Amino acid sequence: MSYSDKVLDHYSNPRNVGSMDKSSADVGTGLVGAPECGDVMKLQIKVNRETNVIEDAKFKTFGCGSAIASSSLATEWVKGKTVDEALSIKNMDIVKELSLPPVKIHCSVLAEDAIRAAIGDWKKKQEATAPVAAEAK
Amino acid sequence: MTKSVLTAIGAKPLPQDTHSCWSCGSMRAAHFCESCGKVQPPVPVDYFSFFGLPPKLNLDVAALEKDFYDLSRKLHPDLNATTERAEQEWSLEQSSMLNDAYRTLKDPLKRTAYLLHLEGVELEEQSKSATEQARATGEIKKQIVPPDLLEEVFELNIQLEELRMDKKMGDDDPALIAEIGKQKLALEAKHEELLQELQTYWKTWDGLIDRSQAGNPATSEERAQVRNKMVDVLNRRNYIRNLVRDVNEAMEN
Repeated sequence: MSYSDKVLDHYSNPRNVGSMDKSSADVGTGLVGAPECGDVMKLQIKVNRETNVIEDAKFKTFGCGSAIASSSLATEWVKGKTVDEALSIKNMDIVKELSLPPVKIHCSVLAEDAIRAAIGDWKKKQEATAPVAAEAK
Repeated sequence: MTKSVLTAIGAKPLPQDTHSCWSCGSMRAAHFCESCGKVQPPVPVDYFSFFGLPPKLNLDVAALEKDFYDLSRKLHPDLNATTERAEQEWSLEQSSMLNDAYRTLKDPLKRTAYLLHLEGVELEEQSKSATEQARATGEIKKQIVPPDLLEEVFELNIQLEELRMDKKMGDDDPALIAEIGKQKLALEAKHEELLQELQTYWKTWDGLIDRSQAGNPATSEERAQVRNKMVDVLNRRNYIRNLVRDVNEAMEN
């Protein structure tokens, strides 16, 4: 199977690889896996408490080229977005951008899951530290 | 929802009750005429019905094997080479279905996945549909792989990466190799445990089938409950299997 140019670009030159302090109150961590292929993906976001804007994102993925490219792209996309905007990223957006073939769609699903899980983790931390703010929807 | 095997049993009599032999007109068994022995046109049935079995997960593999060899001999296209053209085609189709059915049913995991498929569950679709549900409800997705297993997998992958790096540089780190080896053994043990866990759900499932055949059908909740447990075990098991494969590759290269 041949990868698209965009996948190859992210694969050979992944953006935002690394990790952040999991215990920090501003950091949300999403760790997800796909039983289909055994891939595991960790995506972390650092959120500005005042604006809810994602200021930084890091990832580390063990998996195929498409999984690495999907998570690399996900970190690029979430940066600068608010938490709510980031939640609107759909796996099919990633499929389109990277021209993923049908057998690799689960990689994009994994990346969407990772974004959701990271935001979920961050929200949970906010509720724990500031219960009043979390209730005001 | 797709029609379940359980409702299918009640509603659909096996082919031998409904068809008569195309050649002599007598009632026939599923694959041959009982009276004249001629091969019959294939009827689209599931693999369990093909062997005349109820859709149960505990099955006598030795008996299945014997049936398989008996049927292969009788259905073999070469044996039917001198017969009518239609009959030859039927024997070819029946033989190929026989092989698929046998290969699927003899393997405990393929058998389970096949039964789930008959029940409308596609294992590959699980993760995607859970994501779609999370997106729709705004809730956090129920992860197919449990978080503690994921942590373990992630840590192990970091160690594997170190191992590959060491090998590239020509370094040797016996402590790291020993640690990875230890984790691999633990994963293999877990892999085995999951098969045993799966077998306890087989029992529950088979109990539901027995009950249904005795005229007391299982509710859709009861079926879904066992089904979900089996899906969960199979997913975890696949995950571990893939991981052990990665460990082996990293150790060998």
